[in-house]
Amino acid sequence: MLGLFKALGTTLSVIVRKPVTLQYPAVHKELPHRTRGFPVLLWNFEVVEPFCTGCRVCARYCPSECISVTMKDNPLYAEGKSKRRKIVDRFYLDYGRCMRCNICVEVCNFDAIVLNNSWSGHEVSRYDRRDLVNDLDDLLAESKGGGLTNPFREPLGMAHSGWSPKPRGEKAEAE
Amino acid sequence: MIADNPWIDATVRTLLVVLLVILVVLILIWLERKVAGRIQMRLGPMVTGPYGIIQSAADAIKLLTKEDLRPATADRWVFELAPFVAFVPSLLALIALPFTAHLFVRNLELGLFYIVAVSGLSTVGLLMAGWGSANKYALLGAVRGAAQLISYEIPLVLAILAVAMVSGSLNLVEIVNEQGRVPYIVWQPLGFAIFIIATLAELRRNPFDIPAAESEIIGGPFIEYSGIRWSMFFFAEYINVFVLSVLGSLVFLGGWNWPLGNEVGWPLQVVLILLKTSAMLLLFMWLRSTLPRLRIDQLMSFCWQVLLPFAFVAIIVNGLVLVYEWPDVVLGLLSGVAALVAGALVYHSSHRTVPSQPWSLVPAKGID
Repeated sequence: MLGLFKALGTTLSVIVRKPVTLQYPAVHKELPHRTRGFPVLLWNFEVVEPFCTGCRVCARYCPSECISVTMKDNPLYAEGKSKRRKIVDRFYLDYGRCMRCNICVEVCNFDAIVLNNSWSGHEVSRYDRRDLVNDLDDLLAESKGGGLTNPFREPLGMAHSGWSPKPRGEKAEAE
Repeated sequence: MIADNPWIDATVRTLLVVLLVILVVLILIWLERKVAGRIQMRLGPMVTGPYGIIQSAADAIKLLTKEDLRPATADRWVFELAPFVAFVPSLLALIALPFTAHLFVRNLELGLFYIVAVSGLSTVGLLMAGWGSANKYALLGAVRGAAQLISYEIPLVLAILAVAMVSGSLNLVEIVNEQGRVPYIVWQPLGFAIFIIATLAELRRNPFDIPAAESEIIGGPFIEYSGIRWSMFFFAEYINVFVLSVLGSLVFLGGWNWPLGNEVGWPLQVVLILLKTSAMLLLFMWLRSTLPRLRIDQLMSFCWQVLLPFAFVAIIVNGLVLVYEWPDVVLGLLSGVAALVAGALVYHSSHRTVPSQPWSLVPAKGID
């Protein structure tokens, strides 16, 4: 009986609170920095070329085999503008197969690929699944537009929720 | 009188009231979703129109254009007539419902009796829906509904009867005019509490939505209905909510009379009674989104063991006060004390712990 009135008080206090709902298509929630969207390539603004050399390491390690890469001689190297002999020729990434496992980012030797942590890395639905296959220009567009600022920012272990891994020493002491 | 010819007069008045009620129901459905949403920290409908205000109109169009399905095993005429049997009595109650001293269809001498009698008829529609659907969930819901509605009709009528004893009339206009000084809620808190609880049960709303319990019998009698017939059931339900809220504000909250008096003119009186009705409606919505559903045996025992005896207490107290001509304050005090006693009784019975059986570990057979 008293719990009944307590419950009524609770709902009355909730009704004056601000609703937690965000009207999603109109309002976008702020994403954590370590959000895993779909992978995109990074653009080197200093040399004006992609970081990717087309070494195919990401394609070889990709568990779902969604990446296909070819390599070519770098025309900027011949002109003396770049130190990179080889550069990516064609790069296809199928978002329909990608499972955002982050392995391509881990294995890349040139920090050329990164998971898109902005909303454009999530809102990729298309009417035709063939439109989910992205070419080099599509993958570079986000980085060229300046959408990915400092994608490798530290501290890397800090999630949005405030969770962080324990220092190794503590665990050793407990055991 | 709007026109000289009584037939034209009655038709115009009925049309006005029906139009008002359709508008009220559409607003009610929207408001209910908004209030329930805010209580659950959601926004409620937001997309159709500013703050989703035309959501119920969109829903109405959707329901009217849906296919009207009937199960092959259903009893055809019972199934198809059930929505009308539920719908018409809820409209009938509007005939005797006064909104101000002059704004009504007909001022019946037995208005209170008539409204209670007519609103009890919707049980038949419910039973027809449950029987005609040829569905076990529908039948279960209908039988539950009949048991609940018939049981709670009695405390509801007795609570209203207590008021009628004090006012000395069953005419709603006269009952309201009696409350010029103090509304009856002050003198009859016990009656008001019984009225609210019995009304919730009568309207089949949370925590008494046992006949239509979605999580147990998936909507009860309405399970096989779709489109316009389903919407008729819900239209009837919301009309009943509105009618009983207006009735409560007339009988217990002083209607259009208190506190402004009878001479302020009808526009202010309409605003006043709509405010009181809204307060009742918001109370119902608040209770609905707060309290969990009762079990059917809890529901029945609460009705017969708590509400009914205390409804008799209310009537006896009223009778004593009226016969010995004690002052009204005594009535208010006695009724308030009785309401508190009822609450305390419910509190104690719900917190009573069954003494646990002494137990010990018994070794399994074959193990020494």
